[in-house]
Amino acid sequence: MTLIETKNLWKTYTMGTEKVHALSGVTLQIQKGEYVAIMGPSGSGKSTLMNLIGCLDTPTQGDYILNGKAVNKMNDDELANIRNREIGFVFQTFNLLARATALHNVELPLIYNGSGSLDRVEKAELALKRVELTDRMLHKPSELSGGQRQRVAVARALVNDPSLILADEPTGNLDSKTSVEIMKLFDEIHRQGNTIIVVTHERDIANHAHRVISILDGKIATDEIVTEDQRRKAQ
Amino acid sequence: MIAASLLKISIQALWANKLRTGLTLLGVIIGVTSVMTIISALEGMMGAVESQLDRLGPSTFIATTIGGVATSEEQWHEMLKRKPIDIDYADDILEGCELCEKVCPRTFNSANIKYRGERLRDVFVMGSTYNLIDVVDFEVDQGHFHSREDDIYRREVVFIGETVREALFSGVDAIGKSIRLDGKKYTVVGVAKKMGSMFGQDRDKFVVIPLDVSIKQFGKPRRNSNFVIKARSVDDLDEAMDEARIVLRSLRHVPYDKPDDFILLTADAILDQLNSVTRIFRMGLVGISSISLVVGGIVVMNIMMVSVSERTREIGIRKSVGARQNHILLQFLFEALLTTLTGGLIGIVLGYIAAASLVQMIDMQISPSVFGMVAGLSISTGIGVIFGIYPAMKAARLDPIKALSYE
Ligand SMILES: Nc1ncnc2c1ncn2[C@@H]1O[C@H](COP(=O)(O)OP(=O)(O)OP(=O)(O)O)[C@@H](O)[C@H]1O
Ligand SMILES: [Mg+2]
Repeated sequence: MTLIETKNLWKTYTMGTEKVHALSGVTLQIQKGEYVAIMGPSGSGKSTLMNLIGCLDTPTQGDYILNGKAVNKMNDDELANIRNREIGFVFQTFNLLARATALHNVELPLIYNGSGSLDRVEKAELALKRVELTDRMLHKPSELSGGQRQRVAVARALVNDPSLILADEPTGNLDSKTSVEIMKLFDEIHRQGNTIIVVTHERDIANHAHRVISILDGKIATDEIVTEDQRRKAQ
Repeated sequence: MIAASLLKISIQALWANKLRTGLTLLGVIIGVTSVMTIISALEGMMGAVESQLDRLGPSTFIATTIGGVATSEEQWHEMLKRKPIDIDYADDILEGCELCEKVCPRTFNSANIKYRGERLRDVFVMGSTYNLIDVVDFEVDQGHFHSREDDIYRREVVFIGETVREALFSGVDAIGKSIRLDGKKYTVVGVAKKMGSMFGQDRDKFVVIPLDVSIKQFGKPRRNSNFVIKARSVDDLDEAMDEARIVLRSLRHVPYDKPDDFILLTADAILDQLNSVTRIFRMGLVGISSISLVVGGIVVMNIMMVSVSERTREIGIRKSVGARQNHILLQFLFEALLTTLTGGLIGIVLGYIAAASLVQMIDMQISPSVFGMVAGLSISTGIGVIFGIYPAMKAARLDPIKALSYE
């Protein structure tokens, strides 16, 4: 079943008189349950693509169909709904609320779909358990290590049981040991049936996925399957 | 459900930023306090005047030559030139005015009063008939008002106010004692209930003596007299006044094409006049104090703008996990409303205290007014919405990506 289908996506920024094409015609399909890595040099348009797929941004041109719904025709509030129900985003910089506890950070998406507070806490605790942070639930981000922060962010991405987990350089701010931990977490989440897209610079990280798409100058350059062998090596 | 969660988020944000919240509160409190002080004080003063006029009773009016509120200097001079009201007209008015039930002539003088060693200077001396007590509601504390017989036999009896009693008879029963009014002997028959002071004037420093006795001692009054007239019922008041007007015009030989050279005043009329004369003054005061409200509002807006830009990332995070524009708008609007409402409540209380102490300087009291509270709360809610909506909208409309990458 096709989860993501983009047709000739363009994203163009106008800087004064100059036009910057962050994406120049990206067409791709991703099936439900896939584990995809996106690679490419800095400035190639990886984050731009992720933001479009994550409904944080809208394309200048082209169609994007997520789960059978034409996202490029949606208004702000409909996009917010999609972000809330269908997508779990993990960022390089964690993007946690600094003043809130891990538990509150994780229940955040549930607040905006109107869940009751008991339900919220229950689901948030469950999500934190999945990332093995049950004993740090009441800690604030400043009281957690980088790896733990990213695990809180992963729990937040999981809490609403979305169809799609997006991670834009989730290990970019972590040391290699912690990076491996986080990637193991993604592997586990994928095994449980989730669709995952990870942006990364590193081949080792990308090889955790089953398919690697590389981007160059806003276009898809290669799109290849990761062999069982390569994957085992990465893990 | 979502709104309740957003409210909780707002409260937590306010609590986490105590200094900022405190400053915003201060801005609102200053604004609301100053407006509430003015409103409460003005309302209290008008209320006091009203309650004072109530003593006149709803079916009663006064016939006088000088009174009410002069609206120009010429009018004032014209009033001063009028023939005084002749107190002998009492019977003619009663006869000519079917709907007038009681007509009480009054004279006003002043005298020094002595009892044994004690003396009290410049006491207000009213001369009137026995039925004055039925028309103007003095409440009797001890003894009684003078009687019809006292009027007929011109007895030297006196009904005294509380201040007089206190000055001359502290710890002694006043009834039956002889006092001297400018040397002349009078017997105390009654004491009035205390009325307290207003606008710095002691309203208990008075005595009442029979009308004819006062004429005998002080002479026939010139300008210092008027009539208090009571209509048969409240419904008859307007007609009774018309009848009395006709009688007075003919008695005073006013040509048919000339205006009245006297005034008939009801409590309502006095209040209306007072209201209309003081309206501009009151509006001005409220206007001036409103400036501080605007300042308070601008403080709220400023601090909220800072708060929004400081929390751009937070807004981005919330949007990235699915907060809609309205959710963000509500969160910030709640913050503005919570601060302005809290500030408003504190301002109402402080304003009331300030007004009460202001008004106390002119010997009056005010009670907390529902109007004042409603006004204060609506004003502060208004500030919250008006000055909070722009920053809140700005927050709601932030682009999630720009907000997330904001440093
Ligand atoms: N808001 C913007 N305004 C103008 N240009 C932008 C904007 N956002 C991105 N770009 C440009 O679009 C191009 C792609 O940016 P993008 O962030 O997608 O790159 P990236 O592949 O994620 O790079 P990195 O690996 O450094 O994160 C870049 O040239 C960038 O300068
Ligand atoms: Mg990037």
